Amino acid sequence: MAAAVHKLLHPHSHAHAQPEPKQSEAHPEPAHAEAQQASNEKREDEKQKVAQWVDQKQPLSPNEIHQDPDKKVVGHSSRVLRQEDFELIKTLGTGTFARVWLVRFNNAQGSDRDKVFALKVLRKVDVIRLKQVEHVRNERNVLSAVAGHPFITTMVASFQDHDSLYMLLEYCPGGEVFSYLRRARRFNEPTSQFYGAEIVLILEYLHEKEGVAYRDLKPENILIDAEGHLKLVDFGFAKKVENRETYTLCGTPEYLAPEVIRNTGHGTAVDWWAFGILIYEFLVGQPPFWDQNPMKIYEQIVEGRVRFPSAMSPEARDLISGLCTVDTSKRLGNIKGGASAVKSHPWFRNIDWDALYNRKVRGPIVPHLRGPADARNFDDYEPESGNREPYSKELREKWDEYFKDF
Amino acid sequence: MSLPPDYSNEIQSLTRQVIQHQPNDILQFCANFFNRRLESQRAEFLLSQRHSNYKGSTALPETSFPGSNPFGTSPGTGFMNRLEEEDETDTLASPAASSAAAAAMANPQGNHPSKSHFGNFLGFGASKSTHQHQFADADSQTFPTNYNLNRRTSVSAESLNPASSAHDNWSPPYHHKSEEQLARLKTAVSGNFLFSHLDDDQFSQVLGALQEKPIPTKGIKVIQQGDVGDYFYVVEKGSFDVYVNPSGKLEPGPDGLGKKVSTVGPGGSFGELALMYNAPRAATVISNEPSTLWALDRVTFRRILMDSAFQRRRMYEGFLEEVPLLSGLTPYERSKIADALETKKFPPGTTIIREGDVGESFYMLESGEAEVYKRGIDKPVKRYKKGDYFGELALLNDAPRAASVISTTEVKVATLGKDGFQRLLGPVEGIMRRNDPSKRPEGDSIDPLAKEA
Repeated sequence: MAAAVHKLLHPHSHAHAQPEPKQSEAHPEPAHAEAQQASNEKREDEKQKVAQWVDQKQPLSPNEIHQDPDKKVVGHSSRVLRQEDFELIKTLGTGTFARVWLVRFNNAQGSDRDKVFALKVLRKVDVIRLKQVEHVRNERNVLSAVAGHPFITTMVASFQDHDSLYMLLEYCPGGEVFSYLRRARRFNEPTSQFYGAEIVLILEYLHEKEGVAYRDLKPENILIDAEGHLKLVDFGFAKKVENRETYTLCGTPEYLAPEVIRNTGHGTAVDWWAFGILIYEFLVGQPPFWDQNPMKIYEQIVEGRVRFPSAMSPEARDLISGLCTVDTSKRLGNIKGGASAVKSHPWFRNIDWDALYNRKVRGPIVPHLRGPADARNFDDYEPESGNREPYSKELREKWDEYFKDF
Repeated sequence: MSLPPDYSNEIQSLTRQVIQHQPNDILQFCANFFNRRLESQRAEFLLSQRHSNYKGSTALPETSFPGSNPFGTSPGTGFMNRLEEEDETDTLASPAASSAAAAAMANPQGNHPSKSHFGNFLGFGASKSTHQHQFADADSQTFPTNYNLNRRTSVSAESLNPASSAHDNWSPPYHHKSEEQLARLKTAVSGNFLFSHLDDDQFSQVLGALQEKPIPTKGIKVIQQGDVGDYFYVVEKGSFDVYVNPSGKLEPGPDGLGKKVSTVGPGGSFGELALMYNAPRAATVISNEPSTLWALDRVTFRRILMDSAFQRRRMYEGFLEEVPLLSGLTPYERSKIADALETKKFPPGTTIIREGDVGESFYMLESGEAEVYKRGIDKPVKRYKKGDYFGELALLNDAPRAASVISTTEVKVATLGKDGFQRLLGPVEGIMRRNDPSKRPEGDSIDPLAKEA
């Protein structure tokens, strides 16, 4: 696998080792009308299942989530869904190689019009050009593995067509925590504790059940759902690390852990560092290490001296100091006990962890919505430009193998 | 008791200088070193005063924050007040905060009319009714006006994969340099934090990889603001002017360079962000005369760091596997211990542990040789070489050391204290007990990935 990924990122050095392209395995074109009909039935069946799930959205227990993705109701690779099955309502966000749409099933009638999703569309040609093939594969596989967690955006299914990759995700109508935080300037302690606690449950699951490091924690990547609970999105940098360290520098400047900057190898401990930065930003309104010149940020991070406003409670300081500890062998969350050591920190003493996991606690901000398809909490984006670089036959022959699990 | 990092950095770079120059008059040498450092720091400071936004030798923008206390007490305010204030004085508002989001923000209030969820806890200022404009003033004190409130972009560097590099047998490029050139390069990079954490091997590999780049004439743009950045540069001779255009990139036309912010001469450096990831260049740098640069690219730099870290970790894990006391560790736990091991170097003839002392740390010999002595026996009772370990019983109990270990050559050891071990994995007794099924407690797994083991 490691070698395969290397090959994929340095295609020229291994040009002789390219695998034979499989003839559009994902989308067979049945010659007979009979097969066509069978496929259509399967497709209708799948659409119905997906619609049913969105109706109930029951979070799964940690053990249910952890089972084989093909046996779960959500997170599988669909061979029958297509983009044409969806009506694109509005763009919810754009990135350098992806666009997220608010969608509903085509020709939805009555109450079915309220069954909406977020559809993340990635152009294969852009993914390849920006050398994000490995990250996109990681994202799909991690989202598939964790689908059903109460505080991670659920990937209902993934699919692809000749030039694009699709992730059908649950829609979080509340928008980004980032927007709420910037407008409020800072959160008070109970709000920060509530959001912090839900993040702890996410990290506990990712690290200890899946061996996954998330690597891009920040308010921009946390959404609020219709009930006021958090949903972590954007798993582009998430990686299954298990008991091996990893080296690729990735994340967001203010949130990078010292070991990432120094390139000494990093693992799940980077998320606990970033979690400390996040709590600080919730409470103070800006991260502890900041400068206009990014190199100065990194210098401060590696030094690791956090300054606290005089008003911050001793418990909050103690928690943040424990998390933002340069030495990973002393960092809270990474030391003995893992996430449970964080959960038992006095700053979280008012949290009922079981009730929280089961979403029985009311969120501090419940978005007011005109209905499940309301997209007012998302900014407007420029329409997609019409001229797209085509996904040529050469590219397909070279790369489609790497997308075959999508 | 830990030393301030600034102190350690200075002492490390002094040590390198001493090793290199082998001065006869140590005291005078050290005094000269610190005088030079003081001089260059003062020069840098004065330069940054003159161009309040830019710093002399690094050619990258610098900020005024955090010069003053960024947490000046501000009169806090209820959420609704603040919302109005932001809408009126929009200087600090994030562009993300569109009017649609503003409408949404009113909603939590509507749902919970009795309390606010935001920043009104004590100490950030008790709620107080004041005129709106005062809030804006107070906030601009709390938040430096140049604090970036926008959405932050993620960054990522090239994917580095140590497993395949071992396979490829990659070795860093080496470009020969004279002793004098090396000395100048060492001094030039010693103040840069990206280099100050390197061990000796990494440092000499990095210096070796720097490539000479002659700049034949005046007026050559070595880097252009807004362009992709792949290289870091050190000036060997000549001089360069640094320009910043407020638009963020080099523009066409006579004023396209923007404002000149500093000049970099021999021993100066620029473009170090390129050693982290590919970000647009923050300035344009142009030669003033025929000059010479040393250049280092990001992938080479990061790969040197990664390869040595990777090899050291695998070596430590290999050593740990050989220690019977720790045979119960899962691979996950072994990697955690390997991560926590600290490297120490001792000159020949050092007593690493002394018979009778209370044992606190465990050691593995990474390189060099050592001998074991017991009281009353004048010959060494044992010899240690690479991969041997000693003092491991200190992890288990406080019993005095049973023998002394003295280095016979220069040695490098990897060491971990009992407290460090327990902090990570708990008492070593628990791990030993795992080897004995009769004593294994039900469901007491320290390893979250135990299924893998």
